[in-house]
Amino acid sequence: MNPRRMLGDAVGALLFPIIAILIAFIIGAIIVLATGNNPLVAYAALLDGAFGSKLSLGRTLLNTTPLIFTGLAVAFAFRAGLFNIGGEGQLFIGAITAAGLGAALGGLGPLTILLALAACALTGFLWGALPGYLKARFGAHEVITTIMLNFIAINLATYLALNPLRGKGIVPGTGDIDPSSLIPPIGLGFGQANYGILLALFAAVVAYLLLWRTKLGFRIRAVGLSPGAAGYAGMRIGANTVLALAIGGAFAALGGGVEVLGVYGKMTIPFVSNLGFNGIGVALLGRNHPFGVVLGALLFGGLASGAQQMQFATDVPLDLADVLLAVILLFVTATKLVELIVGKRARALAGDTRLEKGLGS
Amino acid sequence: MTENETGGGATGTESAPMVLEMRGVTKTFGPVVANDGISLSLHRGEVLGLLGENGAGKSTLMKILYGLYAPDSGEIFIDGEKVEIRDPKDAVRRGVGMVHQHFTLIPPLTVAENIVLGAEPRRGVSLDLNRAARATEELSERYGLRVNPRARVADLSVGEQQRVEILKALYREARILVLDEPTAVLTPQEAEDLFGVLKELVADGLSIIFITHKLGELLGVSDNITVIRDGKVVDTVRTATTDEGALARLMVGREVLLQAERDAHAGKASGEPRLEAEDLVVRSGTGAVAVRGVSLAVRSGEILAVAGVDGNGQTELAEALAGVRKAEGGRVSLDGEDVTGLGAEDRRRRGLAYVPEDRASKGLVQDFTLAENNALKTYEEPPFSSKWGWIHPKAMRKKAAENLRAFDVRPANPDARAASLSGGNQQKAILARELSGDPGVIVASQPTRGVDVGAIEFIHRQLLEQRSEGKAILLISLELEEVRSLADRIIVLHAGEIAGEVTPEATDEELGLLMAGGKSGGSS
Repeated sequence: MNPRRMLGDAVGALLFPIIAILIAFIIGAIIVLATGNNPLVAYAALLDGAFGSKLSLGRTLLNTTPLIFTGLAVAFAFRAGLFNIGGEGQLFIGAITAAGLGAALGGLGPLTILLALAACALTGFLWGALPGYLKARFGAHEVITTIMLNFIAINLATYLALNPLRGKGIVPGTGDIDPSSLIPPIGLGFGQANYGILLALFAAVVAYLLLWRTKLGFRIRAVGLSPGAAGYAGMRIGANTVLALAIGGAFAALGGGVEVLGVYGKMTIPFVSNLGFNGIGVALLGRNHPFGVVLGALLFGGLASGAQQMQFATDVPLDLADVLLAVILLFVTATKLVELIVGKRARALAGDTRLEKGLGS
Repeated sequence: MTENETGGGATGTESAPMVLEMRGVTKTFGPVVANDGISLSLHRGEVLGLLGENGAGKSTLMKILYGLYAPDSGEIFIDGEKVEIRDPKDAVRRGVGMVHQHFTLIPPLTVAENIVLGAEPRRGVSLDLNRAARATEELSERYGLRVNPRARVADLSVGEQQRVEILKALYREARILVLDEPTAVLTPQEAEDLFGVLKELVADGLSIIFITHKLGELLGVSDNITVIRDGKVVDTVRTATTDEGALARLMVGREVLLQAERDAHAGKASGEPRLEAEDLVVRSGTGAVAVRGVSLAVRSGEILAVAGVDGNGQTELAEALAGVRKAEGGRVSLDGEDVTGLGAEDRRRRGLAYVPEDRASKGLVQDFTLAENNALKTYEEPPFSSKWGWIHPKAMRKKAAENLRAFDVRPANPDARAASLSGGNQQKAILARELSGDPGVIVASQPTRGVDVGAIEFIHRQLLEQRSEGKAILLISLELEEVRSLADRIIVLHAGEIAGEVTPEATDEELGLLMAGGKSGGSS
């Protein structure tokens, strides 16, 4: 495919989310007005807080990193036709794995990072395989099982962090990991941002290559798009279900590991929350394409850091960021709604040109 | 081409008032022009045949008439009044009724309940089922549409279900009835019954648009025929003044051979069996035994056809032979090797090609490109992939481009999504994939179902060519014409058993009797 057409397709694929974002900001402006503030001032502060300086960009990248991982966890499974709602639990499994192993192997330096992350991928893979197996073997719907497994994973990780793996510090949680074994910060004035963002981008590339350049990905996409045709072509639906959810689990768990090794240096209790669930929104916004997930996570991350600045500059509460995200997701998923607002032409454009076509083969 | 529309004819319908006129109807989907200024007219008491290849625009036009699509431009007049049909409710109110190819009945409900659904007679707040049943009986008697109003739809035959669909339209006082490929699911006898009903309906003043790709039956049943090609009306002809050859030419735009040249490709049946089944027992998806002890052998260089009414175990038989469905009992062997325990993939590697009847959902991944679909079964083999698990999209595209050209798939663009192709071209793309691997045995299940004349001809030629190359072919078909013109031997399946075996020279009556379950008179 020639580069020009690829570009055209990519633009077409982005058009729809962009329209949704614009509409959301218009609605947001009305809300800001209603609270007695100037929307232009609020949005200027929001933008400034998200991307305005190296420091704020660093904050945005820090927010973005785990969301890329959890977004990939959802998107990868979705390509196999599966809804992975288990990102939250899978992230906790990864976090406790990295925290426990990181504290135990503290003396090994950078090798610890490698080993701990490999272990995260493995435990996440196994944790993700569980609902896959339940579906393939017994027909248990993955939405139910992944939600249930979230509770189990969160409580299991919390128990482990507070009991057998509890550290000495004042903050409840696991023991501190040796500073030499943490993912180093980027520095250069980017504040707390660390090299975890590079790992996240690398994971997105890996997800892309897996899906569009390997036999495994070919099978997973075929099963996801048409189980009937895939089955008739001799592909094993059950095995691919297990694999897709397991690989998704590995991505989310890596996100948990990178949070522990890059940001906290241990697993504190309570641990971060909602990163797994926000991954669903990120994947939706990114149309379940690895590179779209990166952009979606950047938007989520940027809104989170920008909202703080906005709260400083105006009286607009932090919650406006959540409102904006909710409205954006509403419009991204409710395609008919956008059709009503901007007309069918734009809808057709977005429908024909899909991101995976533009950036794929 | 000439306009033959007006002038008093033997049928006399032209002098009757015009009930429907569509003028200059245009509908585009993105860059595709589905209907390009189509005009047609329908008179009271007329049966108008609407003929065209798949993708020619017949369905789009009828969906516009039924309010499912809005036209970009053009006008519709009903009883001389210009109308705008926004949705099917509008269409029904204007007296338009449609019998879709795929029925829209609710199986657990009774015939009467289905018929009145959405327009129920009430007594107070409750449904007046007696009145519904009476209305049904009245209608069914008036037009000879025999059906028991109190029977559950799930228990009806396909022919009876179709009658219920027609009754549904009549109950809503349809004056214009559109039938979409109505005979596709019927036995020859059921089709005859339907034609009888249509005569009753037009005698009562209804007007009918009859969509079909079967040229022969249109000649028997219609007054006029409008032929559509590439979204345009090619011609409207009086049925009495035309014949099959002329219609086929109009439809395809060139000469077509209506009879596959079976004898020109004289088979070389060598007698050595390549695909064999012994006492095969197969259950359907619902758990019912669908195939009850079928034994057959397909030899090198022959086409063995399996005829029968849809739903008599053909699907399950083909699936069990291809290895996508487990056999409950019995044996399947390929070239003498027992493959009963092997899956589809292993049987393919041993030289078995399979064209499934449900090409849309089983033969192709609609959202995959043609390149990906072409490699759907062989993506793990060189040159499509290497060790370490990588695939090579370039090699997939190159091979697909070759195959698509060789099998005349249009567009021959490996980057096009399968869903963007017409039915005939999808089927050709499947054949390209299945036959390019030079298989020894071919199981083809309804390979020409719902595809246009041009594609049918092409597919028939391919099958005959394969036969002359010494392949063993099992052809499952519901079309008696197809079975007769291609097969060397015909077995008829009824209720999961072989009702008999006949030669292609068997008459319609003989075949029909076997299809209905009567045992053959000693010819097997």
